Amino acid sequence: MRPIKILAAILVAPVLLPTLFAATPAKRAAAPGNVASAQAPATSKFVKGPPTKPGQIPKHIDSYTPGLMPLEPLTIPDDVMARIKVLPKEKIAFLKSGRSRSVMPPDAMFKKIRTISGVEQLTAYVDAIISVSDQVNFKAGRDPVSIPLNTKSARFNDWHMRRPRTLDPKRDPGPVSLSRYVRGGGGFSTFAGAPVAFTPEDLKAGKVDVAIMGAPLDMGSGWRDARHGPMAMRTLRHGTGGTDVSSMVNPDEVLNIVDYGNAAIDQNSTERSVQEVRRMVREIAQTGAIPIIIGGDHSLEYPNLAAMADVYGKGNVGVIHFDSHLDTGRGRVHLLDHGQPIYRAMKEAHIRPEDYIQVGLRAHYAQSYYEWERLVGMHYHTMAEVERRGWEAVMERVIKEASKNTKYLYISFDVDVLDPAFQPGTGTPVSGGLTMREAIPIIRRLCAESNVVGFDIVELAPQLDPTYRSTLNGNSLLFACLTGIAMRKKGLTQPNYFSPLSSEHGQDNYYGDKK
Amino acid sequence: MSGRQRLSGWRGVAALAALSIAMISSSPGSAADTAPAASVHLETLSAEQRAFIDNEANLRRFGLTRGKLDSILAGRDADAVKATITSMMETMEAAKYQPATDPQPEGQSLLDPVGDMPAVPLNPEAGDFNAGTIVRPAILDEVHRDPGPFSLKRYVDETDGIPTFAGAPVALRKEDLVAGKVEVAFVGVPLDLGSGWRDSQNAPTVMRAMYGTGGYDIFGGIDPAVELNLADYGNLSTDRMSAEQTVIHVRKMIGEMVDAKVIPFIVGGDHTVMFPTVASMADKFGAGNVSVLQLDAHYDAARDLAHFYSDDQAVSGLLKQGLVKGKDIVQVGVRGADLKSEDLEWMREQGLHYHTMAEIESSGWEKVLETALKEVKNGPPNVFVSFDVSVLDPAYATGAGRPAPGGLTMREAVPMVRRICAETRVVGFEMLDVAPFLDLSYATALNANYIMHACLTGIAMRKLGMTKLNYVSPLTAGDGK
Repeated sequence: MRPIKILAAILVAPVLLPTLFAATPAKRAAAPGNVASAQAPATSKFVKGPPTKPGQIPKHIDSYTPGLMPLEPLTIPDDVMARIKVLPKEKIAFLKSGRSRSVMPPDAMFKKIRTISGVEQLTAYVDAIISVSDQVNFKAGRDPVSIPLNTKSARFNDWHMRRPRTLDPKRDPGPVSLSRYVRGGGGFSTFAGAPVAFTPEDLKAGKVDVAIMGAPLDMGSGWRDARHGPMAMRTLRHGTGGTDVSSMVNPDEVLNIVDYGNAAIDQNSTERSVQEVRRMVREIAQTGAIPIIIGGDHSLEYPNLAAMADVYGKGNVGVIHFDSHLDTGRGRVHLLDHGQPIYRAMKEAHIRPEDYIQVGLRAHYAQSYYEWERLVGMHYHTMAEVERRGWEAVMERVIKEASKNTKYLYISFDVDVLDPAFQPGTGTPVSGGLTMREAIPIIRRLCAESNVVGFDIVELAPQLDPTYRSTLNGNSLLFACLTGIAMRKKGLTQPNYFSPLSSEHGQDNYYGDKK
Repeated sequence: MSGRQRLSGWRGVAALAALSIAMISSSPGSAADTAPAASVHLETLSAEQRAFIDNEANLRRFGLTRGKLDSILAGRDADAVKATITSMMETMEAAKYQPATDPQPEGQSLLDPVGDMPAVPLNPEAGDFNAGTIVRPAILDEVHRDPGPFSLKRYVDETDGIPTFAGAPVALRKEDLVAGKVEVAFVGVPLDLGSGWRDSQNAPTVMRAMYGTGGYDIFGGIDPAVELNLADYGNLSTDRMSAEQTVIHVRKMIGEMVDAKVIPFIVGGDHTVMFPTVASMADKFGAGNVSVLQLDAHYDAARDLAHFYSDDQAVSGLLKQGLVKGKDIVQVGVRGADLKSEDLEWMREQGLHYHTMAEIESSGWEKVLETALKEVKNGPPNVFVSFDVSVLDPAYATGAGRPAPGGLTMREAVPMVRRICAETRVVGFEMLDVAPFLDLSYATALNANYIMHACLTGIAMRKLGMTKLNYVSPLTAGDGK
């Protein structure tokens, strides 16, 4: 709702425009105490943060971040003040400090205090607030700063120990076909029916363009089952092969594609898992191949972007992020989960907010999250914008923005950007999303018209969909990007390219336009 | 279907392929100097390397036996053999914790550590660090109420309103349990970090909304919800990213319930939950003073893992910390492809009583049932029942995180649970690893609720003095004559 209001304000009050983005003394970062009670600052006095240089941490990254916001003192109404006067000084000081916000919203507290009679009762009430506040906040010595692991275990690293290749018969480097027959087929399921590669040497020897890997991390906050995303997409044989109707390109003929297997995952720790994912994505990208990562939950975007920065340099890769969720969680007890990959990637300066573009947002995030995005300089195109402007216009703008700032582009596709009609198999579905007829063209076009160096499809939870539909759609999105990459390799990078063969029997131009 | 099984399956395929290639290369017609499998070039191996391959446990880490390894090495010259063994030994060495040799450069991400991460770092800067686990004191309630369980029913007879277990009234704090003299309280622990399919976080919610925990029992001839003071204690807070964090809070909260003289009926959650629940019983009744009856397809006795808490090491954790004695644990229904001989050997050394499906097949259910009940009765008088829904055959519990075919029927499980709860002093019961969305039908949730109802019935029967062996009501079992 709020972005619409802001835009409306701009439309009706053009005189306001110059002041909107000018430096005013408004202290945007000084949001109050905790998220729950954070008052939304007045939107009309928005001040944009300075642009972030590559490799720099965005100036306002920690604004609105629980735990990192300066504590705003509480203004206590006079009648409440009159009642609490009887309390000892330090208790009054506590109430004035604003620390009670981590226990309850100030207004609820004031309301209660007005009804309490007697010093004893009042003292008990305030003591309870002080006690809870103390318990809620981190206290060194009392609360853990880390979760110990069993470093004495002989199997500490078993989960990601790579199998010694010496145990297999010797073979030359290069992708290995699992087909028995000349014309393919042999019963083994791989991504897009591609041959298998295990090492960077295989990728180099095979001059591999695209390496598809699984990363079955399963620690999402909704329904879980993202672990089986890669397995389902490999097993469903449909959707990833053949010729694309709009471009008449068969990606399998144009590109050297491999299935690079799965990254090892510690299903009890996202923090450990992402280290191995980052190594593997980096290892692929370093050979010049484009890594396509099939998740797994959206935490994966962090190691994927970190690996992109490792190879192409910090702040040199732009991101198009399809999602119903903002995923800009921050200030949580765990450093990373599937709701906060963006903050982590920006906090470590792998990417710049100015190069980050979101599409399809509609989950019920608080207004302050959008304000944070605007403040740090991110770009977003919500479903509200799609409703207002139409998909065509939004798509054109996103494609234009994709190549504006950076030479390299990464696409992160959370399948819950799709409507649950197309994608019931996902952990945190949200109604009112994109259709496949909207998603396929934009993915194909982005992968054809911009320099995509990495792509992920995350949050596919196949077990939640008793049909094949969610997985087929996952495969079709993979195919759309493969098509685009193949088009690019063939030089078909003009905006919205269609093969003349693709429409109107390939024979006439009934509609008489230049589309 | 678990990742682990897939992996081992894949390894099996790879090993088989290696074997067949080795066999092809040593078949007649190939190079004349190919050595037959019998004469593998081990002569240049050091004593340490020979000892390494002579140790079966080492080879099992790679999914190999000595015979399979010899097949792999058969066609190779001495250098290649040495290189193979060296790479295996290096792999096993690298599998150990590798501490940082250099300090972490300033500003480098904690998620990109130099050397192995010795502990998973948390974020002490987080706002409201402990907010998820702090119970709101009564004085901070917006609306004051006297302590005690309160009903969510508008009508005297209401079945489909706001769902609670057995239609029981709600209790939120320990004071409510005490004031209501609650005897049995349900509590959900929606931890979802199991090693199989994950969905157990939805079990408490879905099971509350399913029939089966309340009503008349045809065997005991009573309605336990009438006989007992029940309460639904809601769900405990879990950390969905960390079993370790969850274990601490659950142990404390279940401990409070036991302090309030309540028999907790815990609804998981994956089997990780067994550690803190049984630990809280040991906290109350004394370490080594609790008997555990575990109905489960899995023995959960993995050891030497990198994480201290997970579903597959709940039992070994309790034993290693001395909270329960091996001889006081009775397991029934063990089966499935995840088992390992060395674990069973370790369990035997610990004196644990296990009754696998192999035993049930060879000795018959009746005999195993009687034996298991007797073993539990011989242990400490405080009995805890841990029921992992996977003990049931997938026909009855498709919605299990770690299903294994060939399990118990409902008609085997229900009498056993009712009897243990009637004939011994059960101090706690848990229903774990129900993953309701894996079952497109209502069956798993309904069956899990009926199992809980069987124990409720048993506890009510015990309260009413119906504790004689295998008691069945004359009214219901013999047309009342």
